[in-house]
Amino acid sequence: MNMNFLRLIGVIALTALVQSARAELKWEQTSVDLHPGFNDKQAVAHFKYENVGNTPVHFNSVHASCGCTTAQTQNEQVPPGQKGEITATFNIGGRTGTQVKTVTVQTDDPDPASSTTVLTLKAVITPLLEIQPALVYWQNGEEPKPKTITAKANKDAGVKKLDVVSSTPDFTAKVDAGSAPNEFRISVRPRDTTKAVYATLTIKPDSSANTGNVFAAAARVMPLAPTSGTAITPSTKAAVSTIRHDLATPAPTAGSPRQ
Amino acid sequence: MKVSAVRQTLLLIALASVPAIGEAIYFRDKVSWQSPDRSSEMVNLDQAQSWGENAIWVDARSDNEFEQDHVPGAIPLNEDRWNELLPTLLAQWSLEKKIVVYCSSQSCNASREVARRLRDEAGLKGVFVLQGGWEEWQKSKR
Repeated sequence: MNMNFLRLIGVIALTALVQSARAELKWEQTSVDLHPGFNDKQAVAHFKYENVGNTPVHFNSVHASCGCTTAQTQNEQVPPGQKGEITATFNIGGRTGTQVKTVTVQTDDPDPASSTTVLTLKAVITPLLEIQPALVYWQNGEEPKPKTITAKANKDAGVKKLDVVSSTPDFTAKVDAGSAPNEFRISVRPRDTTKAVYATLTIKPDSSANTGNVFAAAARVMPLAPTSGTAITPSTKAAVSTIRHDLATPAPTAGSPRQ
Repeated sequence: MKVSAVRQTLLLIALASVPAIGEAIYFRDKVSWQSPDRSSEMVNLDQAQSWGENAIWVDARSDNEFEQDHVPGAIPLNEDRWNELLPTLLAQWSLEKKIVVYCSSQSCNASREVARRLRDEAGLKGVFVLQGGWEEWQKSKR
């Protein structure tokens, strides 16, 4: 009886010892909401942690869900009681809207429930300018009536006007105020719709808050639809050549002379 | 006692009906079971290849991945450099052409997002996402 009792005490003590020798990262938050400004190139989230256990924690891996996000730890090992953070950097690039990226952290914590933590970075990206549609086109031979591109400016940017420049003289662009505040209507018109042409429309918002954001839309007169038995005429060849030339020509900056 | 229970049941049903009816009226055009048919936006490799010259292949992966290798003739269009790369595609697009967007498992949902933006922002039609993406393409070349 006494022997059994001692065994029981031994098991309890061993269990207590194993439980007390634990490694545990306690996260301040595992989800961060970010609202980067329209000039920001990156959104950075800091996920703070503390080792509240009494043995060191090792990071086995820190893996971002997407190539556009990088994650860094301050140290590979976290001694008991030490605080630190994992920094997740999301490269915004040309992304818009709500972007959710995750970072999966794996530690050597023997408890499977605690060894893997998913950190979530949510970035709401409101661009300086929203352009709709990004392409206006005319069928070959269609009446060269103006078509409209709507540009909505971020209300915090204080955009007073837009400068729109066509990369070729084949199109003209006129900017008017839109029906809503911070909205602009860009009327694009081809000079001729009998030949296939393409132009990049460089759109630059005039705002003191803008630090060099330039946007682009495109205007096209489509080539004649290929039909069986239709020979490629010299004019078609010329049109294709024009498009290739335009592509090879970089879009002009706002300061460039209009071509 | 029984009458009271029936009354309470009816009262609860009536109360629950109010928000239910309201929701049904408010969302009458967006009934929950009418979710968008995502399968119509996907295309398998055989189908995409059968389009031949009438398909424009769009690589939604990062610049590095594109430089390493890509589908022959594919146009790079990733969201890292959306504004710079989009004009190249728009210059090659035509009404009769279909667009096949692909990415890899490394680039998350990039192809879906690029396809969505081509439809919504550029107003292009016939935009598809390649099932299995870049990995599927590579598998077919082995």
